[in-house]
Amino acid sequence: MSDQENQAARFASEMAANAEKIFKATQFIANTKDQDVNIGTTPKHLVMRRDKVELFRYEPLAAATAKTPVLLAYGLIGRYTMADLQPDRSLVRSLLSKGLDLWLIDWGQPGRTERWLTIDDYVDDYIDAAVERIAQETGHRKITLLGICEGGVFTACYAALHPEKVKNLVVTITPIDFHADVKDEAAHHGFLNIWTRSLDPEDIDKLVDTYGVLPGEFMSSVFSMMTPMRSLTKYNVDLIDVVDDEAKFMNFLRMEKWLADRPHHPGEAAKQWLKDLYQENRLVDGSFELSGRRVDLRSISAPVLNVFALDDHIIPPDCSRALGALVGSSDYTEIPLPGGHVGLFVSSKSQGKLSQNIVDWLVARDASNGTGF
Amino acid sequence: MTEKDKSATADSGSHLEWAKLWETMAESSSRMAAAWSESMAPFMLARLSEKPAGFGDGNELSAAIERMAQGPRLADVWDIDRKIALVFGAWIEMRQRLASYNAVAAEPWARASKRFIDKMISESAANGAPPLDWREAFAKWSEISNEELVRNQRTDGFLQAQKELLQAGLQLRSRQDDVSDAASALFGLPTRKDFDEVTRQLTELRREVRTISRLVRDQKIEGA
Repeated sequence: MSDQENQAARFASEMAANAEKIFKATQFIANTKDQDVNIGTTPKHLVMRRDKVELFRYEPLAAATAKTPVLLAYGLIGRYTMADLQPDRSLVRSLLSKGLDLWLIDWGQPGRTERWLTIDDYVDDYIDAAVERIAQETGHRKITLLGICEGGVFTACYAALHPEKVKNLVVTITPIDFHADVKDEAAHHGFLNIWTRSLDPEDIDKLVDTYGVLPGEFMSSVFSMMTPMRSLTKYNVDLIDVVDDEAKFMNFLRMEKWLADRPHHPGEAAKQWLKDLYQENRLVDGSFELSGRRVDLRSISAPVLNVFALDDHIIPPDCSRALGALVGSSDYTEIPLPGGHVGLFVSSKSQGKLSQNIVDWLVARDASNGTGF
Repeated sequence: MTEKDKSATADSGSHLEWAKLWETMAESSSRMAAAWSESMAPFMLARLSEKPAGFGDGNELSAAIERMAQGPRLADVWDIDRKIALVFGAWIEMRQRLASYNAVAAEPWARASKRFIDKMISESAANGAPPLDWREAFAKWSEISNEELVRNQRTDGFLQAQKELLQAGLQLRSRQDDVSDAASALFGLPTRKDFDEVTRQLTELRREVRTISRLVRDQKIEGA
């Protein structure tokens, strides 16, 4: 047989094997029910409901190491379940197993009804009400805030406006300087920043006024554009790689479930997010206002831990790193970790690192600064 | 004639007046519809048959519809027709912008193909070995394509085309909403605008109540 004939035979054989795997994947999907694909399963109970927003307290999984309660706040783009994807890939479970008293604020599923809610409402009403309730339930005068992505911005704003209620501030993958993407030389980093700046402010107004929200599907399509080939191959070539391993396949389906569960972003809050912050970068120059007060990050007096991902294509590292030069706190720690925006929370490689860094840092401050009663 | 009879006669007179008015309106409306279809429809059909792929270049049809629909508004007739014409105009505009966007978005694929083929040829020549298996070849293709697509996304041409597509899409959606609102109003149903107004009032009311609650709580704490 000639080289060319050998090559053709090999190619035909590989394609037949691939077709079989795709068929197997299709069968697997057909035989799996949505209820079998569970995310966000770590046990918790509802403590308070305010409009669509719910405050939960997680059940403890280990003896307490840091006594100060920790309030986890995700952003409004995507849902907190990214931090609790499955038992072996869960920041939530990992923090609990290391002895934290963990609380969660879940924004629910905002829709057109929430069109008029602003970031002011999220920071000065919902987060404030949650902090007050946690203080009431636990007896702690100050609590620790743990913000993820947009939730990191909310918690940083809260810590600046209400320093008397914040014991520690932990932010992860959080944008602060929304124009720092220009410093990042990686071509795949920061498209969201460039894209948002390419729009006129009137385009954002029109988008929100037309739909009443920033539609979740719209943001999904923007995120898909940021990893173009990955988006094109995930339902075909990538499936071939995981179909023979049921655990990997279920992990793929859980990620899909998280991605599909992308709520709409409340309209007026979206205008602030995209215009005031992404376009005008108001956090950096201190002109961002909430409830009639300027958010001055220098007013943050609590210890600050800033964790970001070095290959974060959505929030380029320099956008997060900027916090260090702006906070008023003298106790500022920065931890850059390998990985991407989502991978930092869900990849098998990063499991344990993020939570260990956070817990070590919090335990050290719990011991040195008292418990904030 | 009793007062009751006089009232009945007056009622019947006003019914006649209304009937006449309605008849006049219906006639003028049908005359306008006929004039419109005689003037615009042949033009539109001709253009559709000339350029079935979406009215291609120039977009004169969209501009013509805009001019027509943006004309003076009449109080009692032709409003829904005008709204539908505006939807049609926005749809044509959106198709045009989509075609422009697709053209810009397609550019990197040609560059990626050329780069990929060049790479495969040069590697084959250098190694003297048969080409890679499909997995390695696909990984290279994917890497090159991703680079080209990402690079293209950052160009002014791409960003502008995408922005114009977004603007056109929003204009279409907004005009569709106008038609939907008009239909809702026709059947006495609340519109999106009504809903937005109710939620605005609710949100503001809630803020006021919560501000007062906080003030009361703080005063109690101070007084304790």
